[in-house]
Amino acid sequence: MRLRGKVWKFGDDIDTDQIYPGKYLPLTDKEEMAEHAMEGIPDYENFSKMIKKGDIIVGGKNFGCGSSREHAPISIEYAGIDLIIAKSFARIFYRNCVNIGFPILEAEEEDIDNIDDSDELEIDLEKGEIRNLTKMKTFKGKALSGLEMEIMNAGGLLDYLKGSSKY
Amino acid sequence: MNATIIEKILSSASKKKVSAGDRVWADVDLIAMRDFGGPNVIQEFKNNFGEKKVFDPEKVVFTFDLHIPPRTEKVAKNQKACREFAEEQRTRLFDINHGIGQHVLFEHGLVKPQDVIIGTDSHMNLLGALQSFSTGVGTTDIVAALATGKLWFRVPRTIKIEIDGKLKKGVYAKDIILHILKNLGTSGLIYKAVEFYGSTVDDLNLAGRITLTSMVTEMSGKIGFITPNNEIVSFVNERSGQKNEFVSADKNAEYEDVLNFEVDDLEPMVACPHSPDNVRSVREVEGTKIGQVFIGSCTNGRFDDLFEAAKILKGNKSKARLIIVPATMEVAKEAIEKGLYKIFIDAGAVVSNPSCALCTIGHPGVLAPYDVLLSTSNRNYLGKIGKDAEIYLCSPATAAASAINGEITDPRG
Ligand code: SF4
Repeated sequence: MRLRGKVWKFGDDIDTDQIYPGKYLPLTDKEEMAEHAMEGIPDYENFSKMIKKGDIIVGGKNFGCGSSREHAPISIEYAGIDLIIAKSFARIFYRNCVNIGFPILEAEEEDIDNIDDSDELEIDLEKGEIRNLTKMKTFKGKALSGLEMEIMNAGGLLDYLKGSSKY
Repeated sequence: MNATIIEKILSSASKKKVSAGDRVWADVDLIAMRDFGGPNVIQEFKNNFGEKKVFDPEKVVFTFDLHIPPRTEKVAKNQKACREFAEEQRTRLFDINHGIGQHVLFEHGLVKPQDVIIGTDSHMNLLGALQSFSTGVGTTDIVAALATGKLWFRVPRTIKIEIDGKLKKGVYAKDIILHILKNLGTSGLIYKAVEFYGSTVDDLNLAGRITLTSMVTEMSGKIGFITPNNEIVSFVNERSGQKNEFVSADKNAEYEDVLNFEVDDLEPMVACPHSPDNVRSVREVEGTKIGQVFIGSCTNGRFDDLFEAAKILKGNKSKARLIIVPATMEVAKEAIEKGLYKIFIDAGAVVSNPSCALCTIGHPGVLAPYDVLLSTSNRNYLGKIGKDAEIYLCSPATAAASAINGEITDPRG
């Protein structure tokens, strides 16, 4: 799958309270959740209105640390972001993304440091290839491995299970 | 044989020999949902599977611990949905009068060594103190496991942490884990399992072990295991009503790293705003004014935690607003029987019903902007208990001593 979009750049340890503040946990409607994506980060209170469909989040280390709330990746996905690239992901956030079929990609620290806010990226998810169209640079991220890629390609864990003998 | 504890548990749960880096489908022994997370699971389960029955109702349980009793109609509706689902599906439900889920589960004998347990809380992994592999997962994981009884896992590599030495008076498991956090940072254990060893760990009681394993989460670790001592073995056997088999790592188990911590000279520690790894010694920040103190949470809400606080509070008045919340009703009962409530109330504390309380924003006790909270909980991210409020994390003893002075205070006097 190929994706193309504009970068919204964030730092290390972006936690789930920043991505999706705890006071909205009682919400169960995904469109409503989307309105609050990244709202806990100063200056990004209106993130869902600032972005265009297909934009890309680029984060630092340990993106999505904090609570187990699946609201976090769901709010980002439904706000219109198509992909998150980070130096590393917190483990629950990582599996939540795989499970809902939302694309993520890990890349080397220095490659990420070379991406700036508003850069235009093009990504080949299967190969893990990232082209920075603004800077005219191409580098390799870590594509998801075996099982996770299969789940992602099926559209998420539940669709994967419905299509397999496990269910 | 060179398996770590997590490799052994996931091998037996997936019925094949697995090692770090493998992806496995493991049988799940217990699925726990809470008043938060649970309603999303029910909605998604019904969307995907209609009226299907869960794979095994005996292995599914609800615990209400976050917003109890509910304060808003939305939360009340969510809890009602959980009750109805539990009844339809004939699963167990621990309603508003029980307390923090993980603690309720092991008090009721639902946690056994080697069990694979998943739940909708990021601190499920504190159950590693009883040698179960418990982990917090998201909605979709729970829905999938409810339908199939299985879930996929990456088998993590393991880091061995050895903690040796005799703790000085006034220094506790919380100070040890804050010290480790200071050294390893919030992403120091990212996607790793931990095995804790050493003379200090051997001596810890259940409460102290839980404090250690719960805060593996703050270093982004997956699970922390502790080899049980006699107290833990008899506790688990008695509660579960059966004789259990604990596992140990093989002699040649492969560790990614071995870290040593000597704690003979460790001082009381405190995590400063706004990150749990922003750790200093209490001495360094002594005198910092605080508005409110919270003693409780899944990290420090057991009887032994409250007891340490009570020893210090006895006969004193708290200058700060003081909120004390036992982890569970069982803990509360013991605290009442042993006279702790009187000490707390005489000290000017508000003692609330067992729950997660001020660990999150869902509970009465939220802070005004720039107010300062000293908490025995596990996280102090900006916005956790109120916009722009500052949170410091410490042991129950440091919290109690500081409450009395209205400023951060060394519990050693
Ligand atoms: S006290 Fe906090 S971290 Fe612990 S179980 Fe409750 S919400 Fe989770």
